[in-house]
Amino acid sequence: MRFSRRNGKKGNYAYTVARVKAKKSLLMANEDYDKMLMMTVPEISRYISEAGYDKEMADLAGRLSGLNLLEHATYMNMAKVFSSILKSSTGELYDMVSAYLDKWDIWNLKVILRGKSYNLDAESIREDLVPAGRLDTESLDRLVALDIDEDIISEFGRMAHVKIPADVIAAYKASGNLGEIEDFLDKAHYERLIQSINPASRPSNIFRNYVKEEVDLKNFETILKLKAEGIHGDQVMKYMISGGKRIDDKLLTHLANAEVMESVMSEVSQLEFGEEIKDLLESKDIRGAVSRLKRFEMQKAKKFSHLYPLSVIPVIDYMINKENEVRNIRAIARGTQSGLDRETIKGLLVVQ
Amino acid sequence: MVDEGTGLIAIGAGLAVGLTGLGAGMAEKDVGAAAVGAITEDPSIFGKAMIFMVLPETIVIFGLVIAIMAIFVMGG
Repeated sequence: MRFSRRNGKKGNYAYTVARVKAKKSLLMANEDYDKMLMMTVPEISRYISEAGYDKEMADLAGRLSGLNLLEHATYMNMAKVFSSILKSSTGELYDMVSAYLDKWDIWNLKVILRGKSYNLDAESIREDLVPAGRLDTESLDRLVALDIDEDIISEFGRMAHVKIPADVIAAYKASGNLGEIEDFLDKAHYERLIQSINPASRPSNIFRNYVKEEVDLKNFETILKLKAEGIHGDQVMKYMISGGKRIDDKLLTHLANAEVMESVMSEVSQLEFGEEIKDLLESKDIRGAVSRLKRFEMQKAKKFSHLYPLSVIPVIDYMINKENEVRNIRAIARGTQSGLDRETIKGLLVVQ
Repeated sequence: MVDEGTGLIAIGAGLAVGLTGLGAGMAEKDVGAAAVGAITEDPSIFGKAMIFMVLPETIVIFGLVIAIMAIFVMGG
């Protein structure tokens, strides 16, 4: 993607950071999650309405109800908050925030393509979109209105300044597997994000390292999930994102080729997050390990958010926490709806 | 015709006010931006934000005091 629109200027850190700090103070605390675990879905809906989601809940209440209402309202609220942060930032801060939020543009493209492949109507697709990135509702509506996949992809490329290579589109057309395009976009997102951060200043460098570590965690998570399915070797390597910090290509190949996790435990335990999940890997609790990795990532973000108050770090830290809040609310509501016991739902939450 | 010493005192007084004004401006740039950001999220903190906003002005007062002293004490 191109980041030239507002490049070259220093960002308005003081203004944006003051805003996100004020927003962060309104996020839910661990006690709120404990309370919600004791509630039914309508009670959770009422509870979050009092905790800042009131406008979205009221807007959607006419069309949706129950779990659907709650899921859409939380995503809509997150989209509103993220786009307000993006709109209020300028200069290099805008570049970094928009590169970080590109993942939501990619998410929306995936939703549209998936929706079209299942012949869903435009209204149903629109309901699942999260306009939290650079593409606003009108741009996304234009994409939804298109019928042919290739048109959607090329229009998206034009809007988001991303070029999807012809061979990726050809591979998708030949196999009909949307995964080809999705994998390409995910990899391209991280590569562009890393490129967009100028490591010249110390805080930007910390953010860059954070993204690189996120790539490590994403790759490791993918390896764990694929191993659980019994997939090894080149099949795993296909999904790996380059640019990680601690897991280089050599280690990645080694991890991917290992038939069983035990054989690579010594290498895993040398990684920064290795010790954290050692016990869970030994007991083959993949879901628990993934959840622990997410918690580890958030704790890192929290630790560095206090270091440089006038930098991109508090902004990213807030966005991570907001996303996590939404994920937790949805996990509690979905778990409650499907009758899971409290301890299981609690295990799925990422709390600090 | 003013003598050389009085001229230097006037320049010194001017620098004292001018430079402290510049310093206060630089400090207020970030404080003001943060204050406006905070008020956007929560208008009830306008009063507190205003106090933080004017804190860097004290530097100018120091400069002004020096300037007045320079003119009236040294010059007088």
